[in-house]
Amino acid sequence: MRPRLVKSQREMEGRFEDVWVLVDEDDDLETWAEGAELDVVGKPATRDDGLLRTSGAARYTVDIALPGMLHAQVLRAPVARCRVTGLDLEAARATPGVRAVLGPDGPFTMRGDAVLTAEPGWAGAPIAAVAADTPEAAAAGIAALSPELEALAPLELEAGLEEQRFTEEPRETVRGDPDGALDGAEVKVELTCETPAHVQTPLEPHAAVARWDGDSLTAWVSTQGMFDARRELAGRFGLGNEQVRVISEYIGGGFGAKQGAGVEALLAAELARAAGRPVHLALGRHEEQLVGGRRAWTRQTVTIGARRDGTLVGIEVAAVVAMGAAGWIFPVGEPALSLYACPNVRAMIFPVKTSLRAQNAFRAPGVVEGVTVLEQAMDELALALEMDPLELRRTNHIELDQGSGLPYSSKRLLACYDRAAELAGWAERDGLREASSDRLLRGMGCATQIWWGGGGPPAHATVRLDAQARALVTTGIQDIGTGTLTSARIVAAEELGLPLDRVVARGGDTAPNLYGPVAGGSMTTPAVMPAVRSAAGSVRRTLLSLAADVLEIAAADLTISGGRIRSRDGGLDVDVIEVTGKLGNATIDGSGARGPNPEGFRVNTFGCQIAQVAVDPGTGVVTVERVVAVHDVGRIVNPLAASSQAEGGVIQGIGYALCEELLTDPTTGIPVNGHLDDYKVPTIADVPEIVVDFVDVPDANLPNLGSKGLGEPPIVPTAAAIANAFAHATGRRAGALPLTPARVLEALA
Amino acid sequence: MVNGEAHALDVPPTRRLLSVLRDDLALLGAKHGCGEGACGACAVLLDGKPVVSCLLPVGAAEGRTVTTIEGLDEAAAALQEAFVAEDALQCGFCTPGQIVSASALIASDPTPTREAIRVAMAGNICRCGAYPKIERAILRASGQAVG
Repeated sequence: MRPRLVKSQREMEGRFEDVWVLVDEDDDLETWAEGAELDVVGKPATRDDGLLRTSGAARYTVDIALPGMLHAQVLRAPVARCRVTGLDLEAARATPGVRAVLGPDGPFTMRGDAVLTAEPGWAGAPIAAVAADTPEAAAAGIAALSPELEALAPLELEAGLEEQRFTEEPRETVRGDPDGALDGAEVKVELTCETPAHVQTPLEPHAAVARWDGDSLTAWVSTQGMFDARRELAGRFGLGNEQVRVISEYIGGGFGAKQGAGVEALLAAELARAAGRPVHLALGRHEEQLVGGRRAWTRQTVTIGARRDGTLVGIEVAAVVAMGAAGWIFPVGEPALSLYACPNVRAMIFPVKTSLRAQNAFRAPGVVEGVTVLEQAMDELALALEMDPLELRRTNHIELDQGSGLPYSSKRLLACYDRAAELAGWAERDGLREASSDRLLRGMGCATQIWWGGGGPPAHATVRLDAQARALVTTGIQDIGTGTLTSARIVAAEELGLPLDRVVARGGDTAPNLYGPVAGGSMTTPAVMPAVRSAAGSVRRTLLSLAADVLEIAAADLTISGGRIRSRDGGLDVDVIEVTGKLGNATIDGSGARGPNPEGFRVNTFGCQIAQVAVDPGTGVVTVERVVAVHDVGRIVNPLAASSQAEGGVIQGIGYALCEELLTDPTTGIPVNGHLDDYKVPTIADVPEIVVDFVDVPDANLPNLGSKGLGEPPIVPTAAAIANAFAHATGRRAGALPLTPARVLEALA
Repeated sequence: MVNGEAHALDVPPTRRLLSVLRDDLALLGAKHGCGEGACGACAVLLDGKPVVSCLLPVGAAEGRTVTTIEGLDEAAAALQEAFVAEDALQCGFCTPGQIVSASALIASDPTPTREAIRVAMAGNICRCGAYPKIERAILRASGQAVG
């Protein structure tokens, strides 16, 4: 390896930053071209840890049980805002079985905010924590704290808007002259829609187990970002990276909610240090629904102006976002700015501070909310223009990112429209309404997807090939359920020229110190897989060089595929073991790094979904009958896992459109449906036929695989497509999602 | 009886079966997804019928047969293989419960229709949304055409 440091740009969910990147000058792998004949990449592969997961043998963080381990519980604010005026820490410490108690008295912060607070600003904010021999003893310790509280009025949304009570300055992004364009538009539509507070609801709650061995800390954390967790724990306890090991091997879902160490790992580690014993801290379901996070409620008003021929001339979006206590402002305005060609756009975000936990990431944060409303307004425009909704979208297609002026590295959205229309039977959509004879109103609607998902450096991997010609890929991947470790095997096997069953991949542990990015921003595949291929490429070069020694043929005249080394002239064909077998106890080791993204491009993913719904005007029940999802995410590494990702995103989008909504009592500020029997997520009985297809053409500008991320794209357009299908079926819009029976009946009245 | 083995336990009868299985018997396949009987991640068989072990007092299981994911029979092995083959799991946290419920379904209805699958499995939440493939896996494991 010949290392060099180069300057590059990194993107995470639409935020860009410049970074220095370590690259290998020897790494000259070209992106596998479109149509290249590949043995393993692009072929369906099952997960190698599938049997561990199906047999119950996989150990998630909540399953970790250590000798002498204590169980922790957290005292949380029972009301939205209050001041703690009394807390009996001594009584808690005196409770039988209690080994450690933490109150809001210590300088205990996370990213500058108090972890435990005597002035909670949201329902569920942590006030104190107790670790005890058993969960029951911990509960008794919590009860002994007997907090005295002075309740304060919750921060209400509409009053907050009136009083301009924002978490930070409202955002306004302007391009061109939106006022002039909208004033002079030949056709203009305006649409207001509320989108619900949407709770990630991972089935494994936030959880952590911490164990100290002298000055070293081992933390099992149910997190999407184990290296972030390591950094936060090392920072909190003044440790070097090598003194902190974070293990996140099996993670029971995250969907954006599980970032870094989280309050749970910080508390577990602090309690473990205080008690001198390992500590297990897992949220209960109600705690998870209350404090685990959510996609924020929004109210957006979208105005679109166009010429009679459908060409957009101006867009304005004004989004009120119920932020909760704080949080990063997600890019709700991005779809208005980039989804369609439009020279004049204004996107405004009003981040109102409310008395809920800070909003956090949930699968395509901001863009789901923005697309959900913008795409309904586009359909209203199509109606006003008497134009086919897909045709309107095609008319306003654009090949470059209008914010930066840069071309997209690749964009095959038009192919997505064509394929989705064909699979959905779009041409016959108006016939659906005529067939609505069995007391059901049927309709079909479409929506366009945009998201980032190009990944970027840094990401590192190693590949070790042994005498038996078995390869071990080591990465910094957290497999939150996407099957990315299997993708790592696939990419390594392809590059090494080995059958898939000779390659294993590991991740979920910071100990090898091979950095991988957070499993978020649809970046694991595009960030890590090129590093894996690069490492495998290094091993392949060495293997060919050793083969040249053994076989006495120049390395350049040899190829490897399917576990066999062949000479280009066809004269030689031997098993790889003929060469590796001579290694004895030595191994061939290669390391790889993710190279920089190409300069002069924006990397985005695109897609189109079409939903068909049936509305019962008697009961107000909306049934999704079919969803077609076609996405362009570059090359597909594993079509089996990719279709699973797409189906899962669509299903979460169905929940957002039809049944999921965290409701808060306005007088108390407390969420009222923080359980799984009242916060309704889709079940198997709610799921329609989902038809998934991919354009599956590599992005030739991306190193070295041509693949983009797929975690987030499939959830982006689903709710909008369903809302548009509802409007097609009924001629009405509900003005708010989800489309519950009550809202539907009101809309139809 | 748990997974064919008799256990004499001195525990309060009101403790939940799930807690005894996980904390006392170290059978960690059944998961605590909600503790409210609403997600099915804790499903086990009680005398062959699926129950949510997070709600069941352990006293109610006294003298009866409990089967967890770890103790399922060969028919369940076919389900496990079908779940892997069809990719009917993502994070996998709900999967043991899904397979326990599916095994009870196939025991009572060896060739369930799609509709029967959707009814029988509606109590098992999969937040990752593996449902279409769970349906396929159950069809496959019961020897039916997946389509």
